[in-house]
Amino acid sequence: MTRDARAGMVAATVIIVPVVVGLLYTASASVGLTGLDAHGLSTARLARVSADSQVWRAIAWTLSTATAGALLALTAAVTLASVVRGTSIGDRAARWLAIVPLPIPHVVAASLGLLVLGESGLLARWTAAAGWVSIARHLPAITLDPWGIGFTLTMAWKETPFLAIVAFAVLATRGAQLDEVARTLGAGRWATFRRVTLPVLVRALAPATIAATVFIAGSFEAPIILGPSDPLPLPVLIWERYGDLDLARRGDAYVLILIAFAIGIVGAAAVSWARRWDLDAETR
Amino acid sequence: MWRGDPSINRYVDEWVAPRVREQYGITLNTVPGEGAELVNDLVVQRDAGRARGTVDLIWINGEAFANLRREHLLYGPWASRLPAAALVDSASPIIARDFEQRPDGYESPWGTVEFALIYDSARTPSPPRSYAALADWIRAHPGRFTHDQGFTGLTFLKGLMYARAGGVARFAGGFDSTRYAVGRDSVLAWLARLTPSFWREGRTYPRDVAELERMFANGEVDFAMSNNENDVVTKVRQGILPATARALVLRDGSIANAHYLAIPYNAPNPAGAMVVADFLLSPAAQYEKQRPEVWADGTVLDRTRLPIEWQRRFAELARDPRAVPDDTLRRYAEPEVDPEYSVRLLDDWRTRVRAAPAPHTR
Amino acid sequence: MRPIGRAALLTVLAVSAVGPLVLLGLTSVAADWFAPAPWPTTFTADAWRSLAGGGRLVGAVVTSALVAATVGVLAALIAVPIGHAIARLTGWGRRLGLAALYLPVATPPIALGLGLQFAFLRAGLGGTTLGVALAHLVPAASFVGIYFAGVFRATDPRLEDEARSLGAAPGQVWRRVILPPLAREIADGVALGALISWAQVPLSLVIGGGLVHTLPLEVYSYLRSGESRYGAVASLLLIVPPVMILAAGRLAATRVSRYFAPALTGI
Repeated sequence: MTRDARAGMVAATVIIVPVVVGLLYTASASVGLTGLDAHGLSTARLARVSADSQVWRAIAWTLSTATAGALLALTAAVTLASVVRGTSIGDRAARWLAIVPLPIPHVVAASLGLLVLGESGLLARWTAAAGWVSIARHLPAITLDPWGIGFTLTMAWKETPFLAIVAFAVLATRGAQLDEVARTLGAGRWATFRRVTLPVLVRALAPATIAATVFIAGSFEAPIILGPSDPLPLPVLIWERYGDLDLARRGDAYVLILIAFAIGIVGAAAVSWARRWDLDAETR
Repeated sequence: MWRGDPSINRYVDEWVAPRVREQYGITLNTVPGEGAELVNDLVVQRDAGRARGTVDLIWINGEAFANLRREHLLYGPWASRLPAAALVDSASPIIARDFEQRPDGYESPWGTVEFALIYDSARTPSPPRSYAALADWIRAHPGRFTHDQGFTGLTFLKGLMYARAGGVARFAGGFDSTRYAVGRDSVLAWLARLTPSFWREGRTYPRDVAELERMFANGEVDFAMSNNENDVVTKVRQGILPATARALVLRDGSIANAHYLAIPYNAPNPAGAMVVADFLLSPAAQYEKQRPEVWADGTVLDRTRLPIEWQRRFAELARDPRAVPDDTLRRYAEPEVDPEYSVRLLDDWRTRVRAAPAPHTR
Repeated sequence: MRPIGRAALLTVLAVSAVGPLVLLGLTSVAADWFAPAPWPTTFTADAWRSLAGGGRLVGAVVTSALVAATVGVLAALIAVPIGHAIARLTGWGRRLGLAALYLPVATPPIALGLGLQFAFLRAGLGGTTLGVALAHLVPAASFVGIYFAGVFRATDPRLEDEARSLGAAPGQVWRRVILPPLAREIADGVALGALISWAQVPLSLVIGGGLVHTLPLEVYSYLRSGESRYGAVASLLLIVPPVMILAAGRLAATRVSRYFAPALTGI
């Protein structure tokens, strides 16, 4: 390995070490060796947590809403990238507008989500004000709901700029090439999209979509503002258990944190694996 | 301290802090955090061997105090050494016992509050005044009542438990698991009958009391609640609650308790903390705190021990028409009992009510 | 797509971009805005006026800015050699390197924070601004590392190899050959790291222990206490600077995305 490569590896270790340290501490706390109310090696915490159905439902809720949100964002990003890929003023403005919400953090996005989609939110109020009172009265509750619809929509909105920006980059570098190929073969606009553009985009965006899923699943501020109390989203459950009135139960939080770490590890591995799925991966 | 209430934040940040700086040269920085987190942080700090912590004074009561004492995480005893301690109404059962525990000088009283329901006089001109009447009201108005998942909601459930057992006296004198089980089952039975008429059929609950107040203000539900009976006064002034909001205490009894200040074992500046605690007990600070425009938090001072001038000023403290009259508060006040009741009830509520399957299959 | 479809899409995008700012602006001055009122009818500028007197919010802005700037610079410093090393690797080496970088970014920040709390307390970093900055550095340096891996993939290694073979010392190679043409990319990398720190909530909450007042924590705290006006002001302070920078540097955004493409798409 060259000196530069060694320097790089050293720097990489610097970044990884904190995560590994955190993971090891959490793992040892999960078996009772350290942390709050530690009584020595035992699998009691592991047993209690795995027997608690609330935990499994929390994991299921967190992962499924995250997947749904990321897929929605993917759909939006793919649509945007295919539709506004030109060089006209309108297209360029559209791409610019699509990226502007990128830096909005989870906490602000969630509060806006509540403001607009909440039961007494702007959507309900404007519908009623527009005279469609009966519709307004029958709008389903999509915040603090067990399906997490409002949460999913808000997170999808928040992650779309991230996926869109990658989608624009993919089409900018490879789009012309693909169009050329399709045109030579005599394909029409819709066929080109369906057979050429869409598969390339989806494959190319797979890693980023997995990343978006993990980002949504790992969010803490958003589910506290928009999520239901049952199933309780995993990050909220972690926080609640960590601050439980009963000191003895707080140790259980470490097992939940370990599960959260596992989501991160699986997510990182999945992104890495998904990169290979892309068409041109072998040539790199 | 808990920073979930803007009026409290303003009192501490804008009235107390400049004065302790001016009078004692102490810079008061407040840190958001509630009992549970504070306990955790101190336990982790102790395990990490932090001899010098980061926080000097903490605002707690009840379970947090119990946990901290048990884990020996408090500095002290110190509270009786404060000059202003002589003015405290230590004869009051609400102040002399913190959830049935003796402060023993490990915490200094700061204020008193009583639980109250908040309703909108425009929407609910004749609100229910007892748990039984509340039950009827809930059934008659499905989807218009709920409580939060936090401390305030827990206080509501505790009050319910005492009421159904015929009074808080049933639970006095330390924790008894048999008495608890009976009390809990009666609460669960009441909830089982009524949660199908709760907001969202009792399938989901607002996270904390601020969220419940928002829902109440926006007309999603017709009741909010608060551990501080005077919240309605301060929040209407801030525009968080509508002007027609009023407070009421249920005739079956309403939980009243005092809240305290304590010093962690590893406080870097315990002397400074004691000075601040003493300042907070001064008649000036207690009076300001009780003003309806500020925090409207009850005083812990025994007015008869104050100079005449201060006695007069406290007596004159304008009572806002929205608030509950003093004598009503006193008549229905009931003290807190052993914190273990709170801990178990919250846990049982979370596992058996919040996480339970749909109402019709319960 | 037909013109009317395009116009509709453009409108939707415009609403999505501008809507948040408008809604937050309205909320920040609405004296009361209870349902079913579609618009606020009474206004007050009390939350904005509180900024003039200094105080918590202004302090939080300053803290966040300082931490973000520090994290941005440090993240770039760490990430440049990492990205370079990973870009020059091939096959399994590169895949493993990138996967290692994905890990801190993928881990839920609340888990990372609670897992690191003990170590940070032991090291005396708990409740300090430095501790919070170091905690932010973990996801920031990783994310920026992925970015620089893409940057170096796109640069030609031959120039630096030649310089090295001509006998230049490693320091010289970096200072004279590698870094100068990448000035814009490095600036973008610093901005990226700063942005990740600027928006952090759970890490600041856990490691800061409530003693370090960052702007996003103030937003969170105001929201949880029902102070919608102050929350809206703090939210605007939080999102307007990066949104403005992004809008003005749209070209930068396109550049940045091109460098992420390799790590996130394999192209």
